[in-house]
Amino acid sequence: MPTSTTAAGSNSDLVTRLNSPDAEVQLKALRELKNRIIGNRTKKLSFVKLGLVPAVAAILASKAQAQAQAQAQPQPDHDSNLLVQSAAVLGSFACGFDAGARAVLDAGACPNLFLLLSHPDDKVVDAGARSLRMIYQSNMAPKCDFLQDKNMEFLLSLLNSDNENVTGLGASIVIHSCETTAEKKALCHAGVLKKLISLLEGSPSQRDNSLESLATIMKSNVEAVSEFVGCESGRALSSVIELTKDRYPRTRFLASMCLIAVRNTSSCYLQDIGIKTKLVHLLLELHEDPGQVGDEAPFAFSSLISHKVDLQKLALEANAIDKLYNHLQKNRLNPKRFQGILLALADLCSKLESCRSRFLSLQALNLVSEALTHDSSDVRTAACICLRCVSRSIKNLCAGNFMNEMIVPPLVRLLDDPSTSVQVAALCAVGNIIVDFTTDRSLFLQCGGVKQLVQLSKSMDSTLRLNALWALRNLMCLADYMCKLGTFMELTASSLASLICDPEPFVQEQALALIRNLVDGCMESVELVFAEDDIILDAVGRQLQCVSRDEIWIQGLYVLSNVASGNEFHKEAVMHQLVPQADNGAQSFILKFLQSNESQLRIAAVWTIINLTFPSSPSACSRFVKLHNAGIVSQVKSMVNDPCPDVKLRVRTALGQFTTLNDGAT
Amino acid sequence: MPVRAADTSAPPQHHSGSNSGHTSPPPFTLLSVGQGFSGTQNVSGLQKDEAWRVNVRIQGCDLEHGYLCGTMEALNVPMADTPVVTFWEGEIVDTKNYTFFTEKWEATQDDDIRHWTKFPSFAALLNQVEVDGGKSLDLSNYPYIFMRWKEQYFVNVGTDCGLTIAGFYYVCFSCSDGSINGFYYDPNSSPFQKLELKSTNEGRLGFSFSSYELR
Repeated sequence: MPTSTTAAGSNSDLVTRLNSPDAEVQLKALRELKNRIIGNRTKKLSFVKLGLVPAVAAILASKAQAQAQAQAQPQPDHDSNLLVQSAAVLGSFACGFDAGARAVLDAGACPNLFLLLSHPDDKVVDAGARSLRMIYQSNMAPKCDFLQDKNMEFLLSLLNSDNENVTGLGASIVIHSCETTAEKKALCHAGVLKKLISLLEGSPSQRDNSLESLATIMKSNVEAVSEFVGCESGRALSSVIELTKDRYPRTRFLASMCLIAVRNTSSCYLQDIGIKTKLVHLLLELHEDPGQVGDEAPFAFSSLISHKVDLQKLALEANAIDKLYNHLQKNRLNPKRFQGILLALADLCSKLESCRSRFLSLQALNLVSEALTHDSSDVRTAACICLRCVSRSIKNLCAGNFMNEMIVPPLVRLLDDPSTSVQVAALCAVGNIIVDFTTDRSLFLQCGGVKQLVQLSKSMDSTLRLNALWALRNLMCLADYMCKLGTFMELTASSLASLICDPEPFVQEQALALIRNLVDGCMESVELVFAEDDIILDAVGRQLQCVSRDEIWIQGLYVLSNVASGNEFHKEAVMHQLVPQADNGAQSFILKFLQSNESQLRIAAVWTIINLTFPSSPSACSRFVKLHNAGIVSQVKSMVNDPCPDVKLRVRTALGQFTTLNDGAT
Repeated sequence: MPVRAADTSAPPQHHSGSNSGHTSPPPFTLLSVGQGFSGTQNVSGLQKDEAWRVNVRIQGCDLEHGYLCGTMEALNVPMADTPVVTFWEGEIVDTKNYTFFTEKWEATQDDDIRHWTKFPSFAALLNQVEVDGGKSLDLSNYPYIFMRWKEQYFVNVGTDCGLTIAGFYYVCFSCSDGSINGFYYDPNSSPFQKLELKSTNEGRLGFSFSSYELR
């Protein structure tokens, strides 16, 4: 048949032919459509928009339902061909293209594709299973609830099929749908794990499907791991280890995923240095793969080494940082691979200073800095996470390795990113980078960093508030007075007072820690908590009396203790908070902290008393008398043998001061 | 300033068998992040005819890994126009991460013993340290913390400033009064340069504490 010279003409012609009453015309149209869309996302999208998916689904529906009604009687050949071709076209629309998968699902094709699995013609069964597999590889596909018996029976019937495509579909459904521990356990109890293990002996495709499903079921499922490891005296485990040497990269990759799931779930298995080293080398080698395996390898590598110092050391010895850096240098990395490599580098540098040193010596920061302005928000987030992990090093922070033009301006810009996850990741990186006690932090201020942090500390999103305050708290640590004053003016006393009483306890804690740092250092900085009629100090006092969380109390007490290290006026203001003025029998809340089981609370409380009775301050004696009358002095005296050495020694300091004050009074 | 003698404190406990009982020293607020110390370093050894004023500030502390770091500022250094600031990293002798034996930085075990014995508070430990570097001692309740501080880089001057940071300090922190004593060791510098520091409160009438947390 002659084709039209214009694309539009050709497309509308396709719609007409798909709706033709003539089966031969429909068949030709389906074949043509299939050939046009294979591997071409642009074409897929334009045909989805033209409404071709419902037209194809309608062909499938009419023939599949006719077949079901005929109760497995053989149908004419052209009907089978229409089923095969319509299923293939729908699968192709869904393959690797979420909008296509969505259109196929919206056209109601899935139930009809499932009908094909019981077709007498093997070719139709194959086509149905292949198409469904492609749909189940998309996140758009519906989840299968394995806790329902009929679904589990259906899944087992798929896995027990002799047809390779049908068992593959079963595996795809497991990979797509299995999420909760309850589902994973149900699959094990129903015998799915055993069935998947037996499929390891099957064809290359069954083996790959089995490996991926096994990794899914065993992830965070101790029961499944122990069943797998114990199966046939470890034969299943041995065969998966053997598959890490397979000639197909995908099989080697999936076998390593399976072993990572075993190791991460039950740390007692695969502790042998040989297998750990092998996994590190294998995954680094798989980064070379130009396709999907290479895109996924960095994520698998991350899950292998994340939070595990032993594996991070092995990776460093295997030159992982250099190798990942070399990949990062390649031009036109696709966003997924770029993101994965940045996250893998982040994990590598998360704990070991030796890894960070190697990373910095390669000038890898330049590439991370470039990634901060990448189009993909996932890449920008990963770059921030990488920066955050590399900057967990006081040695490098104090050397000014991060507070520079290459890092700070683009990072500060990300605080205003449209994506919240980028903003949170940027806040965490900023929180580290501003912990730089030796160099000037003015670059951060000049870039508008403080303004941005203050603005985010007032966000409606509590995660942003928390992380912004955390960064401000770190910024205020050992900062000079001018930096503190500027930040305080931007924040305002009333905002700080309301953040102390934020609905989120973690925000309260960071707000108090910020104020604790604000009033440390020179004497002038103490004055800041007296702005707006002592609104901050009163809020701190209220939190110490009513909240019940050690972390909040510790920071609040250090605010009082730091203020109490100031002049007479400051000390008296703290006394006003500590010792109830009205003689109504109320106890001072500091007694509760001196008696706490938490040694950090006791030490903060003792420092407060030491500061209030500091002998060279003129009114120390009168405060001592008030503390004595409130029962606080006798409480401190009773702590002379406190189990915490720091508390014990500081109680002795306090007692020494009490003696001096007593002697002075008599 | 003199270091309080160790004879009033209980002798340290010995571990028996494995090292599994080793615990990190408990946190001491006077040795926490932000704390400042000031004093002198006698750079002429025994003659004591030249001393530099020195300020130290703790910038990081990780007791679990026996790690401490900070900055050291030398104020009246001859030939230097400004105070010279260096960044140092410290190893805490907790017998878990580090023992009394340095085993690097050109320090032999004899050098170690010769320097540690300069601290009166070390006397109670000497016998055991001679046997195994102190590996079997439990120092978690000892009222002194022994450390080595190694300067890593100059913060505010170039390496061509004519000064050296090739050596390292043997350091003893007194948990009770927060004082720090140290001896600089560098085979190419005058021996036993003494560092004497006291906890400072920077013009305040009391003690104040900051904190930060890396993410």
